[in-house]
Amino acid sequence: MEMKSMTLLILYATQTGNALDVAERIAREAERRACTVVISSTDDYDANSLPAEDTVIFVVSTTGQGDTPDSMKVFWRFLLQRNLGSHWLEGIHYAVFGLGDSGYQKYNFVAKKLDKRLSDLGATAVVERGLGDDQHPSGYEAALDPWLSSLWSRLNEIKPHFFPKGPDFLVSNEELIGLPKVQVTYHNVNDMDSRLSTATDFKYLQMQIGRARSMSSGKVPHEKSKPDAFLKMVKNFPLTRASHEKDVRHFEFEFVSQVIKYEIGDVLEVLPSQSPAAVDSFIQRCNLDPESLITVHPREMENRHIDNNVNTLDVPIKLRTFVELTMDVTSASPRRYFFEVMSFFATAEHEKERLQYFASPEGRDDLYQYNQKERRTVVEVLEDFPSVQMPFEWFVQLVPPLKNRAFSISSSPLAHPTQVHLTVDVVSWTTPFKRKRQGLCSTWLASLDPEQSIYIPVWFHKGLLPPPPPSLPLIVIGPGTGCAPFRGFVEERAVQSQCKAKGGGFYAAFSRDQPQKVYVQHKMQEQSERIWNLLCEGAAIYVAGSSTKMPSDVMVAFEEIISKESGAPRESAVRWLRSLEKAGKYHVEAWS
Amino acid sequence: MDLRSERSTALVVTDDASYARNALDAIWSSENEDPKRLDPLIIFQTSSLARLPLQSSYVDQVIFFTRSVEFPVDELYAEIFRVMTPGGKLVVYRSFQIEISEVETALSALERKLLLAGFLEGERFQLKKIAHTVGIKAKKPSWKIGSSFAIKKTVKSPLKIQMDDDSDLIDEDSLLTEEDLKKPQLPTVGDCEVGSTRKACKNCTCGRAEQEEKVQKLELSADQLNNPQSACGNCGLGDAFRCSTCPYKGLPPFKLGEKVSLSGNFLAADI
Repeated sequence: MEMKSMTLLILYATQTGNALDVAERIAREAERRACTVVISSTDDYDANSLPAEDTVIFVVSTTGQGDTPDSMKVFWRFLLQRNLGSHWLEGIHYAVFGLGDSGYQKYNFVAKKLDKRLSDLGATAVVERGLGDDQHPSGYEAALDPWLSSLWSRLNEIKPHFFPKGPDFLVSNEELIGLPKVQVTYHNVNDMDSRLSTATDFKYLQMQIGRARSMSSGKVPHEKSKPDAFLKMVKNFPLTRASHEKDVRHFEFEFVSQVIKYEIGDVLEVLPSQSPAAVDSFIQRCNLDPESLITVHPREMENRHIDNNVNTLDVPIKLRTFVELTMDVTSASPRRYFFEVMSFFATAEHEKERLQYFASPEGRDDLYQYNQKERRTVVEVLEDFPSVQMPFEWFVQLVPPLKNRAFSISSSPLAHPTQVHLTVDVVSWTTPFKRKRQGLCSTWLASLDPEQSIYIPVWFHKGLLPPPPPSLPLIVIGPGTGCAPFRGFVEERAVQSQCKAKGGGFYAAFSRDQPQKVYVQHKMQEQSERIWNLLCEGAAIYVAGSSTKMPSDVMVAFEEIISKESGAPRESAVRWLRSLEKAGKYHVEAWS
Repeated sequence: MDLRSERSTALVVTDDASYARNALDAIWSSENEDPKRLDPLIIFQTSSLARLPLQSSYVDQVIFFTRSVEFPVDELYAEIFRVMTPGGKLVVYRSFQIEISEVETALSALERKLLLAGFLEGERFQLKKIAHTVGIKAKKPSWKIGSSFAIKKTVKSPLKIQMDDDSDLIDEDSLLTEEDLKKPQLPTVGDCEVGSTRKACKNCTCGRAEQEEKVQKLELSADQLNNPQSACGNCGLGDAFRCSTCPYKGLPPFKLGEKVSLSGNFLAADI
């Protein structure tokens, strides 16, 4: 008999974070029952692997229009394929919990369709699907609590192997609070190697970042934890006029470490630096010694084998360095569970009550206003709840990990072999409570002075815009910072072309310069004939920019142009564009 | 020419029986068609014919031969379109006994009629074997197989398609049952007052969301900043404890009576 996975898989598709909260709760409840569990977003999971699973729990949200969340679109499309047949998921068990709002006509459509489709594909439901409803006075918990009960009892009946400690084993909430998932070990100064004190060379920094990040995640293999390279800034100037609301910068960087060969269309990931004052304030608030030396590992669970990559002989690093490099205390917002755990450690009664309220179904909306909508940071939350004294281990587990920020590279390595250029919008906004906030990474980069030689840790990877063959005609649409990757395209063509391009040239649309907004699709319409001619020559289309709406507006503009210029009905234009996509000649990179 | 079947069906429509025989021979030889392959149905006296006695998508080829200027009525083109299979070919021949100059106008008129009826790739040609006869070839679009459509300019067609289109996905709406389309019964919450438990929808169009926002604005005076007081006692505690209407919302926590520091936030922009 085939050895199937002994791990319960939870797949979630979240739009605003609620499905993720639910998925995390289900994972915690599984672990309280000594069940091994893995949790993943549908856009991080390869649907091809489904038949190899044993039991999968799905937690899926439905958007207002009845659509799947963005993170589920590819996964869902895969499942809809006719040729999967009706036996593809035979032998697989599943359960679906949906989050929706019955105020909308298409209430929980995603969960309902998924449930049916899985069954049609041959899978067996463990329990009937659960449907959480925002309109219910107690929110989705009203449906989730009983659904989870029946799920565990049913799983115990049919899949006892998931519960090696028996059906009645359950870690209580009180015990749970003493069991954070990470363990922090403090070390003596004597254990350290002598290069610790003031090392500033980038190789050491690279190792430190590697160590810190792999300790933090517990599973990322060492190689990708270390940055691919280090850059230093050599040019930093604004592209927008001072009076403009936006501040868009052009950055030029040089390699400090070895030069990485990148291609146009590639993406640069940057590990941002956090404000030293904020990091200090956080450490102080936790009553910790920033200079202490620590190692961090997952707590050993009896039924979990130690991953080979997690080296229990990890070299210790300074607590301060660990916080600085891996724990986002000044930009990301914590999750709901953070507030729940905090409530256990609050000594002031009113704080305890408030935190419990925030973690409850009744308080969910208020928590959303206070936390997610305001982009409340960990430091700010701690300021509002001064009586909370939480052990550092819980912070390590619950503080959002410091994430890299990705940017489209705007230079061509052919034109600038030892440099990387970026076009960056320095993000700033006002919150609903009228607080002024700034983006962590963009602000940090904008503040860098080329004289200072600060090292910037970076990674390179492929984006969604493959470099085109040198002679292929191109139509590129890149409003705002979307022009960034195309600057690289242009530079590359300039280097590659031996003779002048025949009548190429660029047509740019400048929105905001005039009183009425001119959008890129209007400019496209103006160039309708020219675009059509290029398409007839076999041009490929590239679209990039920072907006969720722009790519579809551009697609519609192409449909209109094709329909108008060829005289064909709209549907044929739509189908033609789709076939262009399938042929690999229509590429979009959109960021928010 | 679609060679799916051994024998393809053809329809010949004409208003002049005597002329038809010679015409047909000439047409077939010019088309390099083997007459045995075709299985023509011939319809005469179509001058007043508006409907064809055939089912839809039945014939692969239609040959339309006419001498009269008035013939045929426009409806006949629509009928021909209907009975043709997608991808089928139409050839219209007109024999003229009129001035050459008027041929041009007549042909343009014909082309327009064909386009309006839905035919594509209209192409003029001349039949050498029969004098004073010009023709237009056209096609009925074949959407099912793939799309190809007429280009106004004489450019090499860029529009060839290799399509495996969305018919390889099932229709997701078929996954829903009647039951699914019903909304659940909820405990009724009979309020519409802004500020009570029921909140505005995320994409509110009735203005309720705006109302809720408005309820939250109260300005702070300099005095309130220098010497903050709080009747409820919560204002100084921080945003986590403040009411939605609190004037101190957005500010860091403070002690009553002590000046409020405006930016305790490490990421606050310099105002």
